[in-house]
Amino acid sequence: MRPWHIAVILTLILEAMPACAGDLSIELAPDAKNPPAPQMGDNLSFHSIIRSNGPTAVDGVIAWLSLVQIDPGREQPVDLEDWSAHKAVTAAALHTGETLEADWPLRLIQAGTYRVVVSAASRDGATLATSPFADFIVREKPVVESRRVLPVAFTIPVLIGMAMLWRR
Amino acid sequence: MLIEIDRLRLSLAGVPILRAVRLSLGEGEIYGLLGPNGAGKSTTIAAVLGLLVPESGTVRVLGRDPRREPRAVHARLGVLPEQGGFYDWMTAERYLGFFARLYGRSLSASTLGDRLARVGLMPRRGQAIGSYSRGMRQRLALARALLIDPPLLILDEPTNGLDPRGRRDIHDILLALADGGVGILLSTHLLDDVDRLCRRIGIIAEGRTVAEGNVVDLMGANSSPQRFRLRLTGAPPCAEIGNVTILARDGDWWTIDIDPAWNPEAVWHDLFCGGWPIAEIRRESGGLEDLYLALTERPAA
Amino acid sequence: MPILLIAGKETGELLLSVRGLAWLLVLSVVLSGFGFLLVSDTELSLLDNAQVVYDMAGIITALGCLLALIVGVDTIAGERERGSLVPLLLTTVSRDGILLGKLGGVAVAWVVIYALAAPYLWAVGSTGQNLADGLLGLALLGTPVVLGFGFLGMGLGACLGTARTGLLIGLIVLVLAASPLLLGPSLRQSAVGRAFDAINPFSAAVNAYDAMIIDSLPIAAQVVNLAVTAAWFALALWFARASFHRIAR
Repeated sequence: MRPWHIAVILTLILEAMPACAGDLSIELAPDAKNPPAPQMGDNLSFHSIIRSNGPTAVDGVIAWLSLVQIDPGREQPVDLEDWSAHKAVTAAALHTGETLEADWPLRLIQAGTYRVVVSAASRDGATLATSPFADFIVREKPVVESRRVLPVAFTIPVLIGMAMLWRR
Repeated sequence: MLIEIDRLRLSLAGVPILRAVRLSLGEGEIYGLLGPNGAGKSTTIAAVLGLLVPESGTVRVLGRDPRREPRAVHARLGVLPEQGGFYDWMTAERYLGFFARLYGRSLSASTLGDRLARVGLMPRRGQAIGSYSRGMRQRLALARALLIDPPLLILDEPTNGLDPRGRRDIHDILLALADGGVGILLSTHLLDDVDRLCRRIGIIAEGRTVAEGNVVDLMGANSSPQRFRLRLTGAPPCAEIGNVTILARDGDWWTIDIDPAWNPEAVWHDLFCGGWPIAEIRRESGGLEDLYLALTERPAA
Repeated sequence: MPILLIAGKETGELLLSVRGLAWLLVLSVVLSGFGFLLVSDTELSLLDNAQVVYDMAGIITALGCLLALIVGVDTIAGERERGSLVPLLLTTVSRDGILLGKLGGVAVAWVVIYALAAPYLWAVGSTGQNLADGLLGLALLGTPVVLGFGFLGMGLGACLGTARTGLLIGLIVLVLAASPLLLGPSLRQSAVGRAFDAINPFSAAVNAYDAMIIDSLPIAAQVVNLAVTAAWFALALWFARASFHRIAR
């Protein structure tokens, strides 16, 4: 077996396994009810399972969601302010074998291609883990429609002006 | 009595405005309230209406305290304030109908038309008040004051802005109301109006009532002779007549004095009946104006 | 009923007089101007659309407060200057009855503004998120804020000498209250900014719009903001009543 064979096999094995970093491992999967071709305004949800694998408990666990846009030329982190009100979960301690499960709802605010990842760390900073990535694409949806706005913006002042002339 | 005010004292923002005002008005009377600007006439009227709180003294309107029972008083009171404001977008008919319903009455269109006809506004009843002249607004204000057929009317400068015909029309309305038993408190600067309408007057100066009573009695008490000039078209039948003193003659014009206790109207009646060929009468002095000026210039007694 | 009569009269002044219609025209022109501005930007994302609905709700609330303040001052001080208040005070309707009628007029003014603004909100927001929540928030939180400014105008008109003075002071209070619309979030995070935000009814309404329209939080979560706007409503109503009862002429 050549070395590159071994590298490929290891990569496949690692991608199939939950991400591990020392004492914590994180699994991340999209919700089965997510729409297959989401567009702006839709809701997605992801489910994570954080497991303590080490010989000792991990104290002060905090897990958070990160979102980045990965469209070529527009790669940037996304402020979750308007995408999700649910940005982090905590646990006082995660004993060996214990799990911390969380759902991560997202409202799709802007069109584009996105990558979401859940990270977890311990209070003392000795443990840091990340989940596998989950990618999704948000389709464009027209928002402010001129064929709605223009008639209203023209008609209402005209009607009031006509009423004024009538009252004169 | 419809209005009784005694020793009324009232201050505004700590400044004494009324110091000792008295006033009494009975049924069928037209009472003239006179005084210089700032004397306290409007403040007195505001106290009668229950809009201001007296410091001391009594105010009784229709037998009630207007501060304690304002709604009972207002239900039988018609008011024409000095500054008349209206809702310019309304028609006169709609305006009167609005106020009638505020008083709890629902007047038919024909009744409202009668009210407007009474003050000479029938031809303009369908027009917006914003198009009215000042005189028309004054007529509308009077129509509003008469809306509930009140036994007591309080009018502040009611003939303001009216032409002579309009003033005469208003006078006739007020005299007819007084004949019908309505008591009228009339605040005005127009002494001609007072002369024609009022038997009793009250004069306020510097917040005090300086004179109150029958016009003739007050003029008699004032002791100023009433001087007139008469133009005669011929020689008088006699050179002397009891209460008249002939002072001078200049061609057809005769200058005479009438005793202050005598009503000139009665003297003219006697002279006409005695055959005096009087073509014109002009007052020189001793009338209401002289009384008013004399009382409002002197320090209050 | 006298209260309804007087409220109807006030409504007539707004809707049947040229002056009242002119105010509504100005309001609609401002909203139309904002609408034209939005239409010219075709790259709006859904976030911006929520921002648009939120911004428009804030503008509608501010314009509503302005018109209510003007109506409130005019219905007392303006009528007094025009000489039409005293005849009303001399009818058999109680002071509270007259006041309620005039309050009803302010309320109708807000209903008219809301009805005028709803098509604009629909036009800019119906393809985005939380339009219904925006309309609900504007109704539940905008109403006490706007009516409160109407009552403030009435109170100022009653206790100050002229309509002009009442309007000037009312406008200063309105600009202060509406300053959250103008200041950025960072300026509102200082200790003074936070304290002011906590008692400012306008901030309460705007923060609630933010939560409902942009963060998609339910109305039930706006209890504190609702309480602040309700307290403002009650305080302004008390001020209007106390001032109106002291009017002499």
